[in-house]
Amino acid sequence: MTATSLTPRRGPRLRVNRLVLYTVLVAITGLFLGPFGWLVISGLKTPAELAASPVHWLPDHVQWHNIADAFNLIDFLGYARNSLIIALIYATLVTLSSAWVGFGFARLEAPGRKTLFGILLGSMMLPQMITLLPTYLIFAKLGMVDTYWPWVLWGLSSAPYLVFLFRQFFAGLPRELEEAAIVDGCGYSGIFWRIFLPQSWPVLSASFVIAFTWTWGDYIAPQLLLSTDRTTLAVAVMSTYVTSAGTPVTNLQAAASVMYVVPILLIFLVAQRGFVAGMSTTGLK
Amino acid sequence: MTVDQIPSVVDRRGSAPAAGSAASRPRTSIATRRHRAFYMFASPWIIGFALLTIAPMAYALWLSFTTFDGISPRWHYVGFGNYRELFSDAQTWKSLGRTGLFAITSVPLSIIAGLGLAVLVNRPLKARGLFRTLLYLPAVVPPVGAGIAFKQLFDQNSGAANGVLNLFGIDALGWLADPYARYVLIMTVLWTAGNIMIISLAGLQDIPREFLEAARIDGASAWRSFRSITVPLLSPVLLFQTVTGVIASVQTIMPLLLAPDPTPAGITALPQSTYLYMMHVFAEYFAFGRYGYASALLWVLFVLILVATGLIFKATSGVVFYNVDPEAKK
Repeated sequence: MTATSLTPRRGPRLRVNRLVLYTVLVAITGLFLGPFGWLVISGLKTPAELAASPVHWLPDHVQWHNIADAFNLIDFLGYARNSLIIALIYATLVTLSSAWVGFGFARLEAPGRKTLFGILLGSMMLPQMITLLPTYLIFAKLGMVDTYWPWVLWGLSSAPYLVFLFRQFFAGLPRELEEAAIVDGCGYSGIFWRIFLPQSWPVLSASFVIAFTWTWGDYIAPQLLLSTDRTTLAVAVMSTYVTSAGTPVTNLQAAASVMYVVPILLIFLVAQRGFVAGMSTTGLK
Repeated sequence: MTVDQIPSVVDRRGSAPAAGSAASRPRTSIATRRHRAFYMFASPWIIGFALLTIAPMAYALWLSFTTFDGISPRWHYVGFGNYRELFSDAQTWKSLGRTGLFAITSVPLSIIAGLGLAVLVNRPLKARGLFRTLLYLPAVVPPVGAGIAFKQLFDQNSGAANGVLNLFGIDALGWLADPYARYVLIMTVLWTAGNIMIISLAGLQDIPREFLEAARIDGASAWRSFRSITVPLLSPVLLFQTVTGVIASVQTIMPLLLAPDPTPAGITALPQSTYLYMMHVFAEYFAFGRYGYASALLWVLFVLILVATGLIFKATSGVVFYNVDPEAKK
């Protein structure tokens, strides 16, 4: 905003610059939205139009029934329910556990705290995939394959990224908050639940949205750990849109993937203000 | 940590029940209570890290010395056999080379794109918030959605990409086959540059305005002040993006999601140009059931990532500026 005050020159040259700027921005935005727009169009075509070569740009008649067909060809709602269950389990647990751990790192001191925090930050750089395959074998031994227990365990153990988010937020709160409570004989867990947690709505919601999005979007863990009827929408949309004869039904797959993506887009659009506020109050920005 | 706490607990219980807690309080001082409280708060992460990260990695290390295939009971210890095989496996080297190439092209490109977008949407614009939101949107699309969208877009017959080429009289390309599939892969990364944009944008807004104003008064061009002020002050953010970008590109599953057949069997039918190291691991693991060998591949990858991250930190230690004290900002 103040950048305008930095540019005393106004006039034709500036106006041309702005025109170029807006044209460039609109073009880039168009490119960025293109793939998703094309997915929507593809989902509303007939199979013949979708297979046509050269490309058949728009459907002659918009095939709204593709949406209903995409629901019916597979157990769409069942898979969506599975996705919703594990995303809610994981997001709720990991938000609470990460807040809990983050409080410890922000407000309490102990020998070894710095080292542990270093390991925690370092583990953010640890590729998930490297632990996931052996984790699968361990869960298989424990009989946890094909259950939602892995998501409970992952949720309870907190996530370094979210711990960091909470630590930054809690570290910024004034010290008087806990001092009065300590004088009154309140324990640290009481301070956490009754004083710090109610203060942290922006971070709690940001953390919940982030964790929910991770789980909803995850493809590999459910693919590895869950059987076909317990699996999530991510896996189902990717691999189950075939006819009984085994031929893939791409137009329905496109329609289904739009429906798979839309909840995340909606959550993002609804939450983005609070989300950005949550990110910026933590100083992570 | 728990070991040195035990004596004091025993002490209190055993020594003086009559003295009550008041007498022993000074010994378990406020500091000690805070130490204990810290470990109580940190324990979910410590236990989780030990059980869900260290244990699987140790298990993978053990498996990497065996011929374990998950089913057959007749597996045995082979020492460094898997590692020896891995180094003589042409596919390991080729896929590693492709992964390296993918990382060193897609990471800088997406950082440049993200930073460029951040500079654009940091200007006073109408509907600035709308542009920011729309450009960020692809970054929240789950990989499966992105995979299917790009498959439709770059389909050889019906894809819009070839449709546009046709408008210019260019023949349709087999985008999702060799050698073009690798470019589609890079485009999927660039598509999510909004992620980098948002974080760079926050970094841009942290740059003290006086710096840029002073440069302007001294007659510095926009490009000059971008290069000499903005980029150095943003360098910690850019370093963070580089490290996380490299790690993400090493473990991308996008080649699988772009494949005609995204199942374990389909991994072996991937176009060669998108057969990255992680796909090689998947193929050995899922398609051939060679868990021991795949574990060795994973451990080699882990060590390589450590080395690469270390090298990135070392190479940038002279160019990354942390001179804005984060505490002083508040």
